[in-house]
Amino acid sequence: MNIAGEPFLVLEFADELVYLTPYTTTLLLFALAFTIFAIISRPERQVDIVFGGDAFYAKKTSLSEMRFRRFMAIACGLASMGAVVTGDIFNFTLFISLVGICNVGIVAAVKIRHVQEAAFQYGIVALSATVPLFGAAALTAATTGTLSMIELGKATTAAVSPVIKALLVLGVMGEGMAPFYAAKAEMFRAPGAPYVIMCSLSSLLIFLRVIEVVLVI
Amino acid sequence: MWQQYSLGLLLVLVAGVIAFFALVLEKDDLHRLLLIDLVEIASLGIIALLGTDLAEALILPGLVVGIAELLALSQIYVMKEGIKDCVVKGLDIEVIQADAPLIISILLIIYGIILSGFTGGGIAGLGAVFYIMSRGHREKFELLEIAAGISWAVWILAFFIFMSFPEYWLTALFMAAVGILLKVAAKMALVGTMWGDNPL
Repeated sequence: MNIAGEPFLVLEFADELVYLTPYTTTLLLFALAFTIFAIISRPERQVDIVFGGDAFYAKKTSLSEMRFRRFMAIACGLASMGAVVTGDIFNFTLFISLVGICNVGIVAAVKIRHVQEAAFQYGIVALSATVPLFGAAALTAATTGTLSMIELGKATTAAVSPVIKALLVLGVMGEGMAPFYAAKAEMFRAPGAPYVIMCSLSSLLIFLRVIEVVLVI
Repeated sequence: MWQQYSLGLLLVLVAGVIAFFALVLEKDDLHRLLLIDLVEIASLGIIALLGTDLAEALILPGLVVGIAELLALSQIYVMKEGIKDCVVKGLDIEVIQADAPLIISILLIIYGIILSGFTGGGIAGLGAVFYIMSRGHREKFELLEIAAGISWAVWILAFFIFMSFPEYWLTALFMAAVGILLKVAAKMALVGTMWGDNPL
């Protein structure tokens, strides 16, 4: 199957390539908008009410923590943008694993024990997911001899086995998509609203993009 | 008969399955962190099996991403377990206390300089890391950072010479080789020594 829609911009640097179709442009603009939100917005101040009394705790985000998390949120936005526009399978997998690290990084600066525990366990999942992820990219190159999605979409290229596609999807899932999402639940309880949203947004974007990739290769 | 590629793939996948199995059985977080490194090697193995120039170009980013994730996770582990304040001193082993690390490091660095380029930088850096780890460190590393930055700039400049003035390719080649050697060596020596003093 060919790539979704007619590309109106193809940037080629030797065998690297980036292409913009209506589909990828929509995803790119979405990621860009939320990255800008992450840059300009200020962190929330989470308040916990004590049950059965009228006391409450206000959690304060320190400046250095805020800076680090904002940096990670922006990096996550950039990585998602890269993942949605790249036309190279290996670069796609690299950007996906970058999204995985940034998701961990966004919450890792929070100095709450259970949040760090969750971030660590999620990081273990993300790191082990690089095996199917890079494996799928390397096997694609081994069976077809190319990594460019435009080449892979052509009917003349050798077909990629469903096992490789399954490996790719498994890898992307591990880096931050649906079922392993459960591991992120504890991470979402971390204070700092505008930054944590980048975790779920990047998951959504790479989910939408991996569908196209799997259909094309 | 099995082809070499299929056989290699089978071996790597078996290695990967063993590593994952170990990961499932292991409950201690620190050991899981170490096992993850084994799992990572399997993924590099699959890429390496391509056996082309492309494979070499793909292994580097794969390796860098893997190391970055591993460093990030170990940093989280240190924060999570609250062992940040334990200062790392030199290893308390008799052989390490004597002159052995110095000799091994010098050999590694000389061999790295002969190899030059990325691999040479890696080996020379390994020598420096080994020396620093076995002796402990109290120095400030700003100077090394500056050296790494300047050599990186030299490397980039060499690429511009390659593209703009191809007739000076030999100069550019030497600049690139020395630049990347210094950069990688300095970076390798900084791994694990730069952080820790100031909280993020």
